[in-house]
Amino acid sequence: MKEIWTSIRRTPYQSLSAFLILFFTLFLSLMLFVSLTFLNSILSYLETKPQVTVYFQTKTPETQIFKVRDELMNSGKVLNLKYISKNEAFNIYKQLNKDNPLLLEMVSADILPPSLEIYAKKPIFLPEIAEYLKKQGDIDEVQYEKDIIDKLLILTNTIRRTSLIFFSYLIIMSILVLITMILFKIALKESEITLLRLIGATNFYIRKPYITESLFLGITASVLSFGIFALLVLYFNPFLQSYLKGITTLSVDVFNYQLIIWPLNYIFFTIVFISTLIFGAIIASAASYIATNKYLKV
Amino acid sequence: MIVFDKVTKKFPLGNTALSDVSFEIDDNQFVFLVGQSGAGKTSILKMITQEIKPTSGSIIVDDFDVTDKNFSQKIDLRRKIGIIFQDFKVLSDKNVFENVAVSLKVIGADQSEIKNDVKKTLELVGLSKKETVFPVQLSAGELQRVAIARAVIGDRNIILADEPTGNLDPKTAWDIMKIFKKLEGKRTIIVATHNTDIVNSFQKRVLVLKEGKIIKDQRKGGYEL
Repeated sequence: MKEIWTSIRRTPYQSLSAFLILFFTLFLSLMLFVSLTFLNSILSYLETKPQVTVYFQTKTPETQIFKVRDELMNSGKVLNLKYISKNEAFNIYKQLNKDNPLLLEMVSADILPPSLEIYAKKPIFLPEIAEYLKKQGDIDEVQYEKDIIDKLLILTNTIRRTSLIFFSYLIIMSILVLITMILFKIALKESEITLLRLIGATNFYIRKPYITESLFLGITASVLSFGIFALLVLYFNPFLQSYLKGITTLSVDVFNYQLIIWPLNYIFFTIVFISTLIFGAIIASAASYIATNKYLKV
Repeated sequence: MIVFDKVTKKFPLGNTALSDVSFEIDDNQFVFLVGQSGAGKTSILKMITQEIKPTSGSIIVDDFDVTDKNFSQKIDLRRKIGIIFQDFKVLSDKNVFENVAVSLKVIGADQSEIKNDVKKTLELVGLSKKETVFPVQLSAGELQRVAIARAVIGDRNIILADEPTGNLDPKTAWDIMKIFKKLEGKRTIIVATHNTDIVNSFQKRVLVLKEGKIIKDQRKGGYEL
């Protein structure tokens, strides 16, 4: 610790620059990561919303409807399926038109069609499900909003790909900038490194102070980034609550574990903090490792 | 023991640093390498430390065949060698004690050993009162003493000095050479120099180089080109 502090004190501007670059990268990555996690989970949530509604003819027996329902459930493409009988449809109708007695008088349960509301596991399955339903007998109408689903599919794919490219760019850029900053720092000690090589120092011995200093800067920048991020989240929490009103839970799939990210919770914050620390440590140590390589060839 | 057997060094651009050079230096022998600039003195020292490799021929340093294709003990070899440069190469951000201690730190010596050995070595070179002084506060002669202390500390039994008095006034140069005199017979010492007076007065073995070749090898020689 003493050696790290001495090194920072002896080259304060280079250390500060390296720290600021690390902080900028980590803070941006953190904000990007959390935003994308939220966006992805909202998209996943929305992906489950589009549905196919199939209206059967009024004379269709329930056994026929249940057969279709069971086949759909066994297809592996359906997340959820809801059968609405004639009576249930009538109840819904009555509820919707309770203030209009004239409309209620005109309609009875017999003329309302039974239906199935089908929620697909992925929007991509919806056209297949619609096609399957159209081929069945006793079907009055199949409704699904093809344009909206297609747009949603394009949007989710575009966001995922763009974020991946942007994230990769950010990592590569920050490592390159950091390598340059550390190279500046090491260049001041080029003759020392050459001397150490000539008196029998191992590569590890030479690298160690640069890597430990970078690790220190990386971890400090991670903690600071997370601290500011946490304060921002606390500040914007009321806005998030009103914006995400109606969504009870948002989660992301992490190695088959459903990590709940909304409502905000300690597990999510802990995972974000640890990930930031690891990311900061990896970037800092990788950059200093690569930077020192150049001077280890004596 | 250091053995050069028909060693030739040609650089990629075609200039020849050494041509068919052969000699043997026994353990604890004191040898001067003399010759004009570009004669090949520094190339010999750099080949001993493995900074450059010969184009042909073989070199054995302290039982290490450094020209063997499978040679992988460069670090072990360098831990047996102490190097002194004309420009001192003292670390400016470390004090005298730390500059000397670095030579032991790289080999993983423990703190008590470092403390004792550094104190003894600083006494040897006459800097025991300047342990905490930084290089910027030292004279050229004192800087070279620090470099010598760093080179001789520990078990480094081969001392290579490349123009150690090149940047010093005559009196300081003699003071420095007196330190080498103290080490005579205890270490293998190779000094590359232009200093005629020193070579003549020491009356030690002299290898004379000219255009990459050894033209004279005198057991108790003087400076003759």
